[in-house]
Amino acid sequence: MAGEEEPFVGLIIAGIVCACSVGPWLLSLVATFIYQPSKQKVLLERESQAAIKGDVISTLSKPFGDREIKQTKMLMASVVMSPSWVQMWIGGIMSLFGGQINVLTKVVDWARREAQQRLREKVEEEGYDEVINMRIETTMLTTTRGGKDKTSGVEILAYGTAIKY
Amino acid sequence: MQAAPNLIFSNTETIPGMTITQSLGVVTGSTVRAKNVFKDIGAAFKNIAGGEIKAYTELLQESRNEALFRMLNDAAARGANAVVNVRFATSSVAGGAAELLAYGTAVVAQ
Repeated sequence: MAGEEEPFVGLIIAGIVCACSVGPWLLSLVATFIYQPSKQKVLLERESQAAIKGDVISTLSKPFGDREIKQTKMLMASVVMSPSWVQMWIGGIMSLFGGQINVLTKVVDWARREAQQRLREKVEEEGYDEVINMRIETTMLTTTRGGKDKTSGVEILAYGTAIKY
Repeated sequence: MQAAPNLIFSNTETIPGMTITQSLGVVTGSTVRAKNVFKDIGAAFKNIAGGEIKAYTELLQESRNEALFRMLNDAAARGANAVVNVRFATSSVAGGAAELLAYGTAVVAQ
């Protein structure tokens, strides 16, 4: 009996090992091609809704016109985005050939748009009319594992001076 | 955390709608923050899927507010009522720890 059970137990162990090594990659693949685009679609909807009224943020250092300004406040919005395992893997291979790495461009672009959209929403929430002198700052977040710095995400901060007429 | 001193701050060179009468020099505020081990584990899982890592977003927001708060306290101690040209800088000091710095010019504005 013991002899018959052994290959069965071995099969289970092999299955677990297989699931542990392949599972995260499968999850990552699903996330990259289904979860992330669905989130990006939501962002696009929010952006197009905000675009109807016209963009409230600008990089000008002074507001347009000579309207009287009642109140000012500095507003910040930030987001930390991380590329998935699959995207990092594709990025690693693509960096051998150089040129544009599309998968990583997408993630950083998404993060930047998300941060700007959050700033727009914050402006509306706090009841301001416009944001001037908007600046975007990018920070890489790394984790150290075994003496090596690994990218764990990228932080995008969008900040500016909100004004109320 | 105590309530931040009631100062106006802006990242423009002047405060729109106000005139600056006196400059009181550069004020800075900084903080070094490390990630929480437990949040780190959650973030590592989120890393598989990619997308936003909310734990880190919140952590950085919190630390940036802390740096800003220290800068405003510095300005208030100098007798300023506004801070202009506020900038942020971030640098990683050691693996997993980051320094957040906020700096600007303390002014008296009317």
